[in-house]
Amino acid sequence: MDDRLNVRTMVDAKKGKIKPAIYTDPDIYQLELERVFARSWLFLAHESMIPKAGDFFTTYMGEDPIVVVRQKDGSIEAFLNQCRHRGMRLCHADGGNTKAFTCAYHGWAYGLDGGLTSVPLEEQAYRNKLDKSRWGLTRVPRVSTYKGLVFGNWDNEAPDLETYMGDIAWYLDGFLDRRDGGTEVLGGVHKWVIECNWKFAAEQFCSDQYHAPYTHASAIQVLQASPANKGDGKPLGDGQTPRPVWADALGGVQFGGNGHGSAFFFTEKPDANVWVDGVVSAYFRDTYAEAEARLGKVRALRLAGHNTMFPTLSWLNGTQTLRVWHPRGPNQIEVWAFCICDRDAPVEVKDALIKSHARAFGPAGFLEQDDSENWVEVQKVLQGHMARKTDFCVQMGLGFEERRDDGIPGVTNYTFAETAARGFYQHWADMMSAESWEEINALSAAYQKELVHE
Amino acid sequence: MSEPATVLEPLRPTVQPAVLAPLALHYEVEQFLYLEAALLDEWRFREWLELMSDDISYVLLTNTQAQTRDRRRSKQPPLTYIFNESKFQLERRVARLETGMAWSEEPPSRTRHFVSNLRVLEYDDEHVETSCNYLIHRASKQRDIFTFVGTRHDALRRVEGGAGWQVYSRELALDEFVLQAPNLSILF
Repeated sequence: MDDRLNVRTMVDAKKGKIKPAIYTDPDIYQLELERVFARSWLFLAHESMIPKAGDFFTTYMGEDPIVVVRQKDGSIEAFLNQCRHRGMRLCHADGGNTKAFTCAYHGWAYGLDGGLTSVPLEEQAYRNKLDKSRWGLTRVPRVSTYKGLVFGNWDNEAPDLETYMGDIAWYLDGFLDRRDGGTEVLGGVHKWVIECNWKFAAEQFCSDQYHAPYTHASAIQVLQASPANKGDGKPLGDGQTPRPVWADALGGVQFGGNGHGSAFFFTEKPDANVWVDGVVSAYFRDTYAEAEARLGKVRALRLAGHNTMFPTLSWLNGTQTLRVWHPRGPNQIEVWAFCICDRDAPVEVKDALIKSHARAFGPAGFLEQDDSENWVEVQKVLQGHMARKTDFCVQMGLGFEERRDDGIPGVTNYTFAETAARGFYQHWADMMSAESWEEINALSAAYQKELVHE
Repeated sequence: MSEPATVLEPLRPTVQPAVLAPLALHYEVEQFLYLEAALLDEWRFREWLELMSDDISYVLLTNTQAQTRDRRRSKQPPLTYIFNESKFQLERRVARLETGMAWSEEPPSRTRHFVSNLRVLEYDDEHVETSCNYLIHRASKQRDIFTFVGTRHDALRRVEGGAGWQVYSRELALDEFVLQAPNLSILF
C-alpha cells in the first residue's frame, strides 16, 4: 500500500461518503494518469473502423495520444502517437489508410508495425551510426479484442482483458452480441469538450438511474407518446411500452463490481427507449427471437439501461451510444461517442439508428444536453474551498446489496441505488493506493465479500 | 449480409461563378434571413418555426481531419449527424425549451446570430438557393461564452403571406473538429 495522497481518507464506500477534492486536485489527477489510466484496460477502437491493412484510427489512452493500426497480417497494434526523435505528434488525421507514418518535424518515418524505417540524412548526419531497430514507436504492450471492441493496457502485470472485465462482460454481451455477425460503428465519432472531472461522467453511467426522471424531465415530456407528439402520425419509438418503466411493478437491477457498473429495468417486451425512431424499435422487436436464443430472456429484453466499464468506457443499450470520457486535466473531459449497430441490420435501420443516436445522445441530443450541464455546474461549484471540503452523499441503498439466484451475476441492488457508485469509488481508491495488481485484486475481493456478507 | 449505411458527405462546394441576382431579390432574401435570426435571438421560437416549411430538412454534420494522401483520393474519416431535423423534430426542440425544465437553457441563454457573405447561388420565380457564413455568440449561466462559426446553404421557397418565404433546406457546416461547447442546446 502506498496511499501517498491519502485518497483512502477521501472515499468511504462503507459509509457512502466522498470528499469532492478527488474531482479537483491536480496532484490526484497526475496520480490517476499513472495508477488508473496506465494500469487499466482502455477502449481504443472498434475493429470495424479499421478493416483493411494500413487502416488507422487516432485516439487517446488517458492524455497519451495513440494510433491504432491494422497490420498486414490482419492483427491490430497500437502505438504512442509520438515521434521518438523529439516527441512530435506523428499522425494528425482522425483516421485513414497509409503505408507509413512520417513525422512532420524532421521526417523520421515508421512502418505500420511501428518500426523506424527511414531517417533523413542517415548517412551524412548520423554517419550510419543510428541503430534504427532501437528507435521504433513506443508500442502498447497489450492489445486485446472483446467482441469487436479493441482495448489497450500499458501494464504487463494487469489481469487479461476478460478477467479484468469480470461480470461486466455479461452485461456488455447484451449490447454487442444480440445477433450473429456482431456489431459495427455507424458513421463518425462525436467529439466534444465538457468542463468537468472524468469521474462525474463515468460514475453517472456506472450507477445513476436516479438522475433520469429529473435531469431529463424535458426530454421525457416532449418525446413520450402524447397527442402533441405525433409527428408524421406516429410518435417516436412507435409501438413501445409507455414510459416510465419504473412506474410498473417489474422492478430492476443495478450491478456493481471491480469498479464497473450497470443498471436496467425489467420489461415484458423488447423495448428500446422511446427516443429511438420507430424503424429502430421495430427492428429490435423483429430480431428478438434471435437475441433471446443467444442471450436468454433477461438480456434480450434489456434494451435500455446504462453501463460503465471502469474507468472511462460507457454505453447505453437501445440508443446504442458507446463513449469514452478522455480526461483532460482534473477539470475537463473530451467525450468521444460512437454509434454501435448490429452488422447485419438492414440499411434502413442503420440510417434510422444513426439519426436516433444523434438526436438522443449526440452533442445536440435531447437528453445529452442536460447531463453535461449538471457536471459543468458541479465542477464550477467545486472551485470553492468549503465546497471541496463538503462531503457528497453516496448512501442510496446502502446495506441492501445481494447476490441474485436468477443468473444475473455480481453484487446487485435495486435499479435506483448507489451500489455501483460506491464500488466505482472504492475501486478507484484501491487503484490509487495499491502498488500491484495483486493488491488491487485482494482489496476488491475483500470489499465485495463484505458487501454481501459472504 | 451486412449492408453499409448511407455514407454522409460534407457540404458541397458552392457553384462558380456566383449568380448575380437582382438587387431587390438579394435584399429581400437578406432581410428574411435577418428576421429569422432575430426571432431566434428574441426567443420567439414558435414564430421562427413558421419560417420553416413543413418539409424542411435541417442538417449539421461533424467535421474530421484527413491526411493529404486520403484527401487527394477524396477519402476522409466517416462523418455523423449533429442535427438531422424534420419540422416535427424542430417543433419538439422548441417544445422542450418551453417546458422550463430544459436545464441547459434554464435560465435561457442569450444568443446573437450573425449572417454574412450572403450569395445567391440559384434562383427562379419561386425558389432561391443561398450560401452564407454564420457566427453565433451564446452567453449562458453566469459567465459561459461560446461561439459557433461556420457556413451554410439555405434553400428558400416563396409562400403566400407571413414573411413571404420559408426555408425548406438548411445544410450547415461547423468549423470545429472537437466541439468546444458542452452541448448544442440552441438552434442554428
